[in-house]
Amino acid sequence: MKAHTATNLPAWEAKGLLRHTPPESVPLTFRLSSLGARFGAQMLDILITYAGVLILAIALTWVGIFSWDGLMAFYALATFFMRIPYYVLSELVWNGRTLGKRILGVRVISLDGRRLTPHQIVARNLMKEVEVFLPMATLFGAASMTWWLALVLLAWMGGTLLVPVFSKLNQRLGDMIAGTVVVETPKPQLLPDLSTQSAARGYEFRPEHLGIYGRFELQTLETILRDPPKNPEMRKRVSDVAQTIRRRIGYDEEVQASREWDFLLEFYRQQREFLESRTLFGDTRENKFHTAAAKPPER
Amino acid sequence: MTNAAPSLDQIRSARFRTEREAGWKRLDALVLQAENNGLHRLGYDEAQELASLYRQAMNALSVARAISMDRALLSYLDALCARAYLVVYAPQESLRGLFARLITHGIPQAVRRSSPALLIGFVAMLLGILLGAALYDLDKSWFYTFVPGELASGRTPEASADYLRSTLFDGGQDSHDELGGFATFLFSHNTQVAILTFALGIFVTLPSFVLTFYNGLILGAFWKVFDEKGLAYEITGWLSIHGVTEMAAFCIACAGGAQLGLAVLLPGAVTRREALRQRGRDAVKLMILAGLMLISAAILEGFFRQTVQSTEARLAIGWGIGLAWVLWLTLSGREAEA
Repeated sequence: MKAHTATNLPAWEAKGLLRHTPPESVPLTFRLSSLGARFGAQMLDILITYAGVLILAIALTWVGIFSWDGLMAFYALATFFMRIPYYVLSELVWNGRTLGKRILGVRVISLDGRRLTPHQIVARNLMKEVEVFLPMATLFGAASMTWWLALVLLAWMGGTLLVPVFSKLNQRLGDMIAGTVVVETPKPQLLPDLSTQSAARGYEFRPEHLGIYGRFELQTLETILRDPPKNPEMRKRVSDVAQTIRRRIGYDEEVQASREWDFLLEFYRQQREFLESRTLFGDTRENKFHTAAAKPPER
Repeated sequence: MTNAAPSLDQIRSARFRTEREAGWKRLDALVLQAENNGLHRLGYDEAQELASLYRQAMNALSVARAISMDRALLSYLDALCARAYLVVYAPQESLRGLFARLITHGIPQAVRRSSPALLIGFVAMLLGILLGAALYDLDKSWFYTFVPGELASGRTPEASADYLRSTLFDGGQDSHDELGGFATFLFSHNTQVAILTFALGIFVTLPSFVLTFYNGLILGAFWKVFDEKGLAYEITGWLSIHGVTEMAAFCIACAGGAQLGLAVLLPGAVTRREALRQRGRDAVKLMILAGLMLISAAILEGFFRQTVQSTEARLAIGWGIGLAWVLWLTLSGREAEA
């Protein structure tokens, strides 16, 4: 269980992330699936399987190749196969994804960083019977129960339902036994490099200008720059950012309103170059409080 | 790799990106192809390219973490590598191979490894049967305590010997529908009970034991009803044809539960969580075996119980199949162990 060491990121950025170490030993970051997505995937799977069996049964009745007897036997087998075998087979074939999980973009991965083994898939889905189907079945049969039995069952159901809410990696009991975790399917999307975009050069920032901020501020600026202003309100906000940065770093030239965007782009480029080369020299600046930890170099 | 020529006024991390971007795009395309069509559809060259590009991208991610502060690049590489990792480290076995290995080696070996748990399962059932029969001898009203109404469907202590005999032989055309429904009910009921027996075993075996014991009670009382009317031989045949397989399946499901329970109760030198993981492997295989046996029992019950009418044939089929299970489980997969 050493596979998921804490992320190197600060706590507010690392929330809901899982550092996963594959055999190449370069940690990968997965985002844990939200409980809503998992619940939705489960509901979708139930809907798909029941609807599928129902449609098939209706079609068979309509075709009429089976007697009533045969239909009942078929129904019994179908309801059996749409429970555990469906989940096991689909997760085996699609590497940790059932149809519902595919639709909602979540999947199961093994916590040890290796491939998902058939044993893990079977184990986590066998427990599903106790955690998902049994509470559902008892829910429908609850009317005919004595109140204390209903109460005990309610407590048990609540308990199993709350396990994923409180467990650290949102694991349900089956996940814990199998050593698996449900994550969002990563979606790679390559955005253009902002440092190659600078339209107008002409701003010279000296080391004392660039020594103020750190990685966090740089990447916040990146987020701002990825979203060009479209209305006056947003332009006002960009202008605020540009003027605040100008004041904070003590840049002595005035920046006109029309050139604020270029100023930010250029500042981003030079700030990034500066911080990256500082990092190469072993001087990592996490955020603007780096001066409190170590005095910035003179030059 | 085709490199877009990096211009010299780019900063270092931007140059790093420009040089490698084409490779990442290619990896992205390959991963998408593998995800949509399956890894086995890739050609030899493509598969090799995928593996090599994956390692290069992992390398690039590692370097980028050290030299770049471009969040777009970092998150892209992270997601790309994660996605490629999921394709590269996907299960490689074919379903057929997996199933074949499970049948020839996995299940028989797991069964031979778990004799204490199996003992618990079969003893629970046997005790149940004996006690069920004994209690019925003392007081017939026990029958109603043990056997749920829908299961008995008229076969109660008050029923006449003729009626009871008629339920055993030639189900008759009119009762055929009802029997089909009954078999269906039994099958879904049985699988649920078996899965419950297994999964609840994690609470130190007790629920598994109790459920199996209770199954034995029903069986014992049911048998005694017929025995009283002088139909002991016939009921044994009627029950044997599928019951040998079905009851053994319950016992094995109970054994699977017992494996989990024993891991919690007597973890030995490892932690309970670790013991649960180790024993869980055999327990899951036992449960798969129980599922297979229940399916076979349902088929036997659906097709043969009413078509095979002589008690001798019923006994022969039932216990013959029982013997086949035993032979498979004791003899298969031996050579690999040595």
